[in-house]
Amino acid sequence: MILRSLEEMDETKELVFEEVRDDTGAKLGMWLFILSELILFGGMFILYSVYRYKNPIDFHHASRELDVILGTLNTLILLTSSLTMALSISAIQKGSRKLSAGLLVATIFFGLLFLLNKGIEWSTKVDHGIYPNSPILLERPKGEILFFGLYYVMTGLHGLHVLVGIVVLSVMLSFLLRDKIHQTHFVPLENSGLYWHLVDIIWIFLFPLFYLIT
Amino acid sequence: MMNYRSYFWVWVGLIILTGTTVSVAGMPLGHWPIVIALAIAGTKSGLVLNYFMHLRSERMFIFKIIIPLVMAVFLVFIILTFADVAFRGGVR
Repeated sequence: MILRSLEEMDETKELVFEEVRDDTGAKLGMWLFILSELILFGGMFILYSVYRYKNPIDFHHASRELDVILGTLNTLILLTSSLTMALSISAIQKGSRKLSAGLLVATIFFGLLFLLNKGIEWSTKVDHGIYPNSPILLERPKGEILFFGLYYVMTGLHGLHVLVGIVVLSVMLSFLLRDKIHQTHFVPLENSGLYWHLVDIIWIFLFPLFYLIT
Repeated sequence: MMNYRSYFWVWVGLIILTGTTVSVAGMPLGHWPIVIALAIAGTKSGLVLNYFMHLRSERMFIFKIIIPLVMAVFLVFIILTFADVAFRGGVR
């Protein structure tokens, strides 16, 4: 009897968990991360600028071996993926879950297309014997060796960021489909979008500096 | 939150700028293409930052200051680096 009355006492108590949310803090966290990423790539851009300053002709010659059409295509692919990303966030803000998911799928698709394109570019280069420390590359003038070293490292690191972005966006897609992201809680999607736009911005600078050297 | 059309027009602007930068690179303009290319890249980034990344509609000052802060840091890096590299081999 004592046990039962104790149980009755327990039933009147309710534990209320308040959802702890700090949307501004989450967004600030992502921006600080973006700041660190900009410094990471910025450092490499500075390295590039010094080597290009010291080897202008070699950089020009090496750059002509890159395919401008594929490079431009990749630029267009990433710019469009940024559009679909921004639209996806707008859609969920308006409560259109299916549209948001569709646009997110499109973004992921463009990301994969970008990586496919990059893979084609890299493999044609490797087939011609141009890769870091290859015997053919080491025969070339010093400036050209530096150019291709920078090319592989910078586009490689960027490609890695694209891959991570694709994984993150896929996780966001699963959240969206399971309603963990919805009209009143979409900060994870927004922050993932910020990361994706950063990846786009980095490529916006990589493209002219590697492909369009006159 | 922006409406769909605004995002679309920003995208159109970005595509046009991309076409411009590729065309300019093919023209024999001496040293100008790199300057123009960097200016266009800066403009494109500005569009992505302000519209796609919503910096333009951010209320809090802290968000608006982060990118200019990074730019300032880079400016210092570049100036100091080239102040060194440009004068190796002596000042003429």
